[in-house]
Amino acid sequence: MQRVVILVVVCFVVAKFVLLPIRISGPSMLPTYREHGVNFVNRLAYLFHEPRRGDVVAIRLAGPSIMFMKRIIGLPGETVTFHQGHVFINGELLDEPYVRFPCYWEHEPRTLGPFDYYFVGDNRSMPQVDHTEGKASRERIVGKVLL
Amino acid sequence: MKWAFRGALAIIIIAAGVWIWLTFFPGPEQAIRKRLAEVAQLASFAGNEGQLAKVANAQKLTTFFTPDIEISVDVPELRQKFTGQDDLLKAAMGVRSVLSSLNLELLDINITFAPGKTSAIANLTLKVRANGERDFTPQEVKFTLKKIKGEWLIRQAETVRTLSRALNKNKLDGILSQASASARFWSAAAPCRFTST
Repeated sequence: MQRVVILVVVCFVVAKFVLLPIRISGPSMLPTYREHGVNFVNRLAYLFHEPRRGDVVAIRLAGPSIMFMKRIIGLPGETVTFHQGHVFINGELLDEPYVRFPCYWEHEPRTLGPFDYYFVGDNRSMPQVDHTEGKASRERIVGKVLL
Repeated sequence: MKWAFRGALAIIIIAAGVWIWLTFFPGPEQAIRKRLAEVAQLASFAGNEGQLAKVANAQKLTTFFTPDIEISVDVPELRQKFTGQDDLLKAAMGVRSVLSSLNLELLDINITFAPGKTSAIANLTLKVRANGERDFTPQEVKFTLKKIKGEWLIRQAETVRTLSRALNKNKLDGILSQASASARFWSAAAPCRFTST
C-alpha cells in the first residue's frame, strides 16, 4: 500500500513539474510530429542553459492548459526573414533539414528584442496565413519537447 | 476512536462552513471567475436552441458588460471592433445565425486587481469549438472588468496574439504608410491551428 502511494505521488509530481504530458493537435509540425500523437514537455530543459535554435518547444498561451508546439528558428537580437520559402537569419540562409515539404513563404525582416525568440512549425507547405508563427518572449517557453 | 470520529466531524463541519461562506459571500476573485464562467455559458449554444432562447440568451449576455463595452477582435478570420451593448447583441445574434453550435471554455484564468479592487484584468485562454467539430481553436483573451454597484462587469475585451508577427517599429511605420503593404501585413495573421494540450 505504501509503495502504491509513493508511486502515485511521484507520478503526480513528475507529470506536474518535470515532464508535462501533451496531446498534439493540428498539422503545423508535420512531418516531424503527427497529429493526435502524445509527447512530453521537459520543464527542466532550460534550467542550466537558454533555448537553442532548432529546439522544439512548448509555448504557453495564458497558462499551460493549451500550448503551441513550435521550433525555435530565431534567437534574441537576430533578424528573421522568409524569402522564397527559405529562412534567413541576419541575412544568412538557415539550413533546415526538418522542413520536408515545399514552401513559398515570404515575409519582411523582423528583428527580435533582447528576450524574444522566433517560433515556427515544420510544415511550411500550408498557407502562411493558416500557420501560427511569430515571436514571443522567453517567459512563454514552458519547456522542450522530449521525444 | 470516539475522539477521531469527533475530530473528523469537526473538520467536515468547518469545511462545509467555509464552502457555504464562499458560495454566498465570494471574494472578488471568485466573483470574477463565476462571472466569466456565466459569460462563457451564455455565449455558448447548442444546435437545438430555440428562436426565443436565442434572443433571450443573447440579451442576457449583454447584461454582463458595461454599456460602453469595447471588444477588439484581431484573429485571421476577423478583425473588428464592437462598441456598446447594441453592437454586442447584434454580434451575438449574428454568431448564432452563422454557426450551428458553439462551445466556449475558459482556461488558465489569471486575475490581476488594480489598487482599490474596483477594476481588474483577467487573462485567459479561450477554447472554442464550433459546429460540433472535434478540433478546437485556442485564443488568448484579455478582459478588463469594473465593479459597478457591487457587480463585476466587463468593460473591455480583446484578443491577444501569443505569437506576434509585429515588425520593429521603424519598419512597421514604413509599412503602415503604404496601404497595400499594410493590408498584406494584417492579412498575414495566422489562426491557432496547431496546439498541444
